[in-house]
Amino acid sequence: MSMLQIKDLHVAVDGKEILKGLSLTVNAGEVHAIMGPNGSGKSTLSYVLAGRAGYEITSGSIVYKDEDLNALAPEERAAKGIFLAMQYPVEIPGVTTMTFLKTALNAQRRARGESDLDALNVLKRVREKAGSLKVSEEMLKRALNVGFSGGEKKRLEILQMALFEPKLAILDETDSGLDIDALKLVAEGVNTLRSPERAMLVITHYQRLLNYIVPDRVHVLSAGRIIREGGKELAHELEAKGYAQIVKDAA
Amino acid sequence: MNAALSRLDARRAEAAEQFRMRGVPHRRVEAWKYSDLRAVTDADAVSNAGAAQWTIEHRSGDVEFVDLSSSAQPDWVRAHLGALKSDSAMGAASFAFAHAGFALRVPRGQSGEVRVNFASAGQARVLIVLEEGASLRYVETVPGHLEGLQNIGTEVRVAENAHFTHARTALTSAKAVQIADIAGTVARNGSYRLTSGAFGAELSRLELKLSLDGEGAEAHLAGVGVLADGTHADVTTHIVHAAGNTRSTQLFKNVAGGKSRAVYQGQITVAKGANGSDSRQTAKALLLGQRAEADLKPELEIFADDVKCAHGAAVGDLDVDSLFYLRARGIPEAEARNMLIRAFLEEAVEEIANDDIRALLWQAVEDALPRAMESRP
Repeated sequence: MSMLQIKDLHVAVDGKEILKGLSLTVNAGEVHAIMGPNGSGKSTLSYVLAGRAGYEITSGSIVYKDEDLNALAPEERAAKGIFLAMQYPVEIPGVTTMTFLKTALNAQRRARGESDLDALNVLKRVREKAGSLKVSEEMLKRALNVGFSGGEKKRLEILQMALFEPKLAILDETDSGLDIDALKLVAEGVNTLRSPERAMLVITHYQRLLNYIVPDRVHVLSAGRIIREGGKELAHELEAKGYAQIVKDAA
Repeated sequence: MNAALSRLDARRAEAAEQFRMRGVPHRRVEAWKYSDLRAVTDADAVSNAGAAQWTIEHRSGDVEFVDLSSSAQPDWVRAHLGALKSDSAMGAASFAFAHAGFALRVPRGQSGEVRVNFASAGQARVLIVLEEGASLRYVETVPGHLEGLQNIGTEVRVAENAHFTHARTALTSAKAVQIADIAGTVARNGSYRLTSGAFGAELSRLELKLSLDGEGAEAHLAGVGVLADGTHADVTTHIVHAAGNTRSTQLFKNVAGGKSRAVYQGQITVAKGANGSDSRQTAKALLLGQRAEADLKPELEIFADDVKCAHGAAVGDLDVDSLFYLRARGIPEAEARNMLIRAFLEEAVEEIANDDIRALLWQAVEDALPRAMESRP
């Protein structure tokens, strides 16, 4: 079943067209990688999927589980199972990590007509996932992302993904700023969430992450369009040849 | 009439003269640039404002109490009342005209707590004396139903090793003009901690002038302002680091909705020779209403060499990245805004060590927030 279907998508930011006819289909159970150089439109794709204001769809469509995504607010998308692991998770002083997790989880549950979980129940669920991602109790008590290292922030993103159990997870440059140990830890966290019901879109500049999260399909994004598609071996070809050569080959 | 009492009368006459000379402050007076008191009241109204009603709601520990409207005053009142030289016209008026108010003294080494409610318009004077090693928790409230002009002048004397904790909550009273003028001195290793909640009036002003007179003296001021449409709240502070190794911190946070105005003026003076002193001040405002305004003015005057001073001010709207992050995690926009506004204010409240005071102030914040938020056009 197709989880996500993007057809001839054009997106403008501040009146400037960034995505210029992007088409992509992702089925449940699949992991797709989007690779592209800086400025190719990778982050724009992730933001437009999550519903960020200022990313205007000028033509084309995004259908998520038979629903037009463009009509939904970011919080509605989250409740319906879309999760974006952000490249730069924000720091929010004055809101503890645990309070944030509880508020977000219950907001999603409420939107789906499910009952709120009490603090103890949320804590239990968080602890189940926190251990393997090395998210400490101390981190959970601190203000959200405040004073967290780059690795801690990314681990917390994956913890949220595990907690919210999304249907479609988008990982935007989750590898950026991570050393190899942190990268492995994050990749393991992602791999344990692979399932036949869940689709993932892994957005990255480098092939490195794809050694650990092995994709079913690889798409190369350049100047707002997908210029090549292939299996996981395409990532290695990119690594060997570089973006410039692939872009030239495709032209 | 004995000599000491006539000295008190002389001080009172001097204060009346000071008010007569200066008149009601207005925006061409630098210290009142952002809060034009003369636009909402005049000198006759101030001098005829009468006595403000006050109720001591709680008094515990070892605290002496004197009603200033009675004719017999103990020596310590005669020695201190009106003795702090201030250049504040409204401070002078609170002393000169009403003959109302009270004095508190905590004897050497003792401690206590006092809660007072200033329920009506008018003027009153408060004198607080903490002797060596004493401590006092003083909680002041102004109710939301206040109408008209209220002008409360407070003098505080903190002796060596004494600790004064002062909490103030003035609830929203859009038909009131509400002035609190505080002058204080802190001796060696003494401290003054102020927590203020201002929830908007036609015009409200908290003016605090504090002199850190002895080595190791400290002042820590924190405040929140939550303003609904049509209200104005001004916090003006002047901390004088008169001695070496003195420390002051200030953190004031305002949320301004509708067409409201938040003002913070924070002057810090580090006197010649006050080496090793350390001062920090931060003032921030979130403008929720498109016609809301904040004027934040930190000001430093440094005459010593070896000092640390840090100050910052910022005015803005809620951070769009934070708002998107919370919404992308499933938190609806209104709830996300709410969380971020609370988080913004929280920083100025979380430092309050006493649970009751923190709860009192936070409850007032909770009560005031919906009105400040609804006025977003």
